[in-house]
Amino acid sequence: MSERVRRVLPHLVLLVITVLLYWEATQIDTSAAGEGHRIGPDFWPKAVLVIMGVLCAYEIVKRLVVKTTFTAPGLTGDLTRNPADAEARDATAADAPPAADVVVPAPPEQRWRLVAGIVLIGAFALGVDWLGFFVATALFLTTFMLIGGLRRPWLATLIGVAGSFVLIVIFMRVAYISLPLGAGPFRELSLALLRLLGVS
Amino acid sequence: MEVLTHLLGGVLTVLSPVNFMVLAIGLVLGMLVAVLPGLTLVMGVVLALPFTYKMGVGPALILLTAMYASGTYAGAITSILFRIPGEPMDVPLLWDGYEMTRKGQAARALGWSLAASFIGGIVSAVMMVAMAEPVARIALSFSSPEFFAVLFFGLISVVALSGDSVVNALVSLCLGLLIASVGVDSIYGSERFAFGQPFLLDGIEFLLVMVGAYGIGEVLTRLGTGFASTASAGDGQARFRTALPRWVEIVRMKYTLLRGTLTGVVVGIIPGAGATVSAFVAYGLESQYGANRKNLGTGAPEGIAVAKSAATASVGGALVPLLAMGIPGSGATAIILAAFLLHGIQPGPQVFVTSTGLVYTVFAAVFLSIIGMCILGYFAIKPLCKVLDAPEAIVSAFVVVFCFVGAFAARNSLSDLYVISVFGLIGYLAERFRFPIAPLVLGTILGPLAETNFMTMMVSFDNDWTVLFRRPISAVIMVLALAGLFWPVVRGALRHLRATRMHAERTR
Repeated sequence: MSERVRRVLPHLVLLVITVLLYWEATQIDTSAAGEGHRIGPDFWPKAVLVIMGVLCAYEIVKRLVVKTTFTAPGLTGDLTRNPADAEARDATAADAPPAADVVVPAPPEQRWRLVAGIVLIGAFALGVDWLGFFVATALFLTTFMLIGGLRRPWLATLIGVAGSFVLIVIFMRVAYISLPLGAGPFRELSLALLRLLGVS
Repeated sequence: MEVLTHLLGGVLTVLSPVNFMVLAIGLVLGMLVAVLPGLTLVMGVVLALPFTYKMGVGPALILLTAMYASGTYAGAITSILFRIPGEPMDVPLLWDGYEMTRKGQAARALGWSLAASFIGGIVSAVMMVAMAEPVARIALSFSSPEFFAVLFFGLISVVALSGDSVVNALVSLCLGLLIASVGVDSIYGSERFAFGQPFLLDGIEFLLVMVGAYGIGEVLTRLGTGFASTASAGDGQARFRTALPRWVEIVRMKYTLLRGTLTGVVVGIIPGAGATVSAFVAYGLESQYGANRKNLGTGAPEGIAVAKSAATASVGGALVPLLAMGIPGSGATAIILAAFLLHGIQPGPQVFVTSTGLVYTVFAAVFLSIIGMCILGYFAIKPLCKVLDAPEAIVSAFVVVFCFVGAFAARNSLSDLYVISVFGLIGYLAERFRFPIAPLVLGTILGPLAETNFMTMMVSFDNDWTVLFRRPISAVIMVLALAGLFWPVVRGALRHLRATRMHAERTR
């Protein structure tokens, strides 16, 4: 994939989503608004989608067809740099691509960690109902710490299990928040833990 | 006089044993989240929200307000001593604060940071008390065009202020507005973007978007760049001591402090622009108009004073639109709004009549938080810096769990866990591809209000949108908003033209 196509990819994806959502917006039931000239429930989302579509199309045309580096930064764009470095910045400003176009890729060794982190977060969301909060959290904490670069598995496991226990105490004993207990043996384990803590 | 009586009542409420303990916990938590690099102030306040579900509304608001106030200060300590900004708002302190540390003036830098935070915080709190009720009275006379204009101004200002690209910020805002339109619409009761999923019919809570995008999104971003094993950088220069500036020095810097405080209050009032924008805007103004502007960025106390006074002053400013109009002025106040709503109280003009005691409890909590924050900031530098020894992998793992609990506990709904996971990914992708998150979140928060007021206006005024420009208050606000939207574009175009011309001349 060429660099230029890669740079327009986010706007291209957003444009496709915009078109699909606009089609979905045409399916909104507008009968409640009546037959007159009153605007219906589809007006607001359609208006937003039109603006979003135009903006995405503008960025795609600008980057692929006109090939200009023009980007209007927000009013605080310049303020986030040390004024003492302003001279050096001005000297390179004309040649440098706009900050909005610079996408810094994740370092290669971090990519698998990132993917693993995303998968783990998804697995936690899906698995907490079945595993219960205690087991799911202990597993999540341990694995996430290892993915994040903690090099001692035993320490990670200890923190994971102890941390999950402390969180159970804080949320269910102190803050009285009802958390998933799990299913089957995991439910039994959660109930035993709660009995131990005096929460029934 | 009546205001002072109410305020005194608020102070007494906050000083009751339970509330005072909650305030102290809030101050410590706010400082911790501000110091830890993996946690931001908004994330911290979000994570504290589930603990308030079972509290009374008073303690809940005191906790969140204390966290909000103290969270604007503590990041200064690690920025000045170790060059580690706990919060984006502390970045200007790297330019001047850390430079002072390198020159052996760390204690002075910390002293200026503390004094500026105190002055900015207290002055803005006074202005907040003075302004909130009159603003609420004015807001009582507002009709849908004025409310829509104020909301439009808020939405546009976050676009104009944030990010490297106004277009990307606008796209982000549009996404936020679309997320807010999911579910059954409040005027006609029609289904929108529910895709046959029952959990989408209730809409997507802005809290889930915030928790996902700010909390999980930030963790993923940091995971993508690699967690630090430990953030501490004990270089031996830090002596964990604060040398407060003398009164004469403070008087000498009165214009800098005034500029910072006023900027903080004004920017804080603008919906969506909080402490970070305040600090940067104030620093920018100081670099343009300050007496010592030539030395700014090289270790000038003015840089610390203006940025810190503005950041803390934004707290009082941001609470004004929240309490007077029900419109949050920053990410943290959006969470405070959620705490109000969870307890069945809708902030706005009426709240000054129906819940006077509660409003003044919040006001008193701000005053006492600023004082408590300074006391803690003076004495607790060393233990606060020890927090940096916590490896980021451990902190981030717990942050994700807190995010999940916060999302789940609001409605006891497992589908909310899926929703925040998705928004975590969206937050990461937005950060990766340089789409600012603040407009997306603000669009989700203000979207329903903006739409309702727009639709009401169109129904009331026979589909005539020009009413926005025919009523004096809404016309002024709309013109300001449109100017704010187009100014960055015009300025960017002029700069680009100049840069292209210079480049052409150089290559000729």
